[in-house]
Amino acid sequence: MRIPCPYCGERGNAEYAYLGDAGVSRPQTPLGAALEGATLDAWMNYVYLRDNPAGAHRELWYHASGCRAWLIVTRNVSTHEILNVEAANGAIRDGRVGAL
Amino acid sequence: MPDQALRQRAPLEALARPGRFGATSAAAGVMLSEIRDRGLASVAARKNQRAALLAAAKSAFGCGLPTRPRRAFGRDGLSFVWAGPDQWVAMLDHGPVGGIEPRLAASLKGLASVVDQSDGRAVVRIGGARARAALAKGMPIDLHERAFTPGDAALTFFSHINVHIWQVDETPTYEIAVPRSFVGSFWHWLTEASAEFGYEATGSNSSA
Ligand SMILES: [Zn+2]
Repeated sequence: MRIPCPYCGERGNAEYAYLGDAGVSRPQTPLGAALEGATLDAWMNYVYLRDNPAGAHRELWYHASGCRAWLIVTRNVSTHEILNVEAANGAIRDGRVGAL
Repeated sequence: MPDQALRQRAPLEALARPGRFGATSAAAGVMLSEIRDRGLASVAARKNQRAALLAAAKSAFGCGLPTRPRRAFGRDGLSFVWAGPDQWVAMLDHGPVGGIEPRLAASLKGLASVVDQSDGRAVVRIGGARARAALAKGMPIDLHERAFTPGDAALTFFSHINVHIWQVDETPTYEIAVPRSFVGSFWHWLTEASAEFGYEATGSNSSA
């Protein structure tokens, strides 16, 4: 599998590290809030629960042996076709994905 | 009073034996050396200061900071290699020890974080007719002349060691910056990879 880094160009997946689903956002829980009810559900969802789609999946990859940028890669997990790649910092700034 | 004086040593001083090694049937296909008289510093743009930094660097050093993986040459032996988004490695040929950081910091104050890396990285020069073939054994990027030319740079790995490579000339000659603590393993791998082509090692060469 080869991933086109927007900064470095296309590189083999040995240069990258995988983090996971780019669609989950860290719950905005105030410090000291009780971990129960909706708060507990939100954390349960953030830490453990993941969809397992057979097609396109938005995920975070780190170009560890390259430019060290975090990327959001949209990948068909059945075929490994790379559908889109963008820099994660831009998406975080625009509020399209939660901070890591 | 210390009873022992600390002496500054180049990263490969004890490892890079000068001489001709490997195959001896023809002229050496690979030339290896360590660049020991160059100052290095990392330059990283401060938040929202990218445009101001590019403008300040251009007027202070006589060259733009490359915004894609390339090396750019400024005045008086200074050059800048792209090192990731909004990051560069600045290099000063024949730089006095500790000389590069103050030289950059004055012009880039408030626009970039500048940290001396002269002791943190070793810079190895590899050239010769078979240099490309030797590097291909450990590096996943395409160094063919159609894909990688003088001035081009890349961040990648060589034998699992993260490296920063840029091409110097069409011989081809490349320079590779390696984290200092990894350069022993790197040198071992590089010399093994070069042996079948015959290689000539010189302990040091000037960065001119
Ligand atoms: Zn990259």
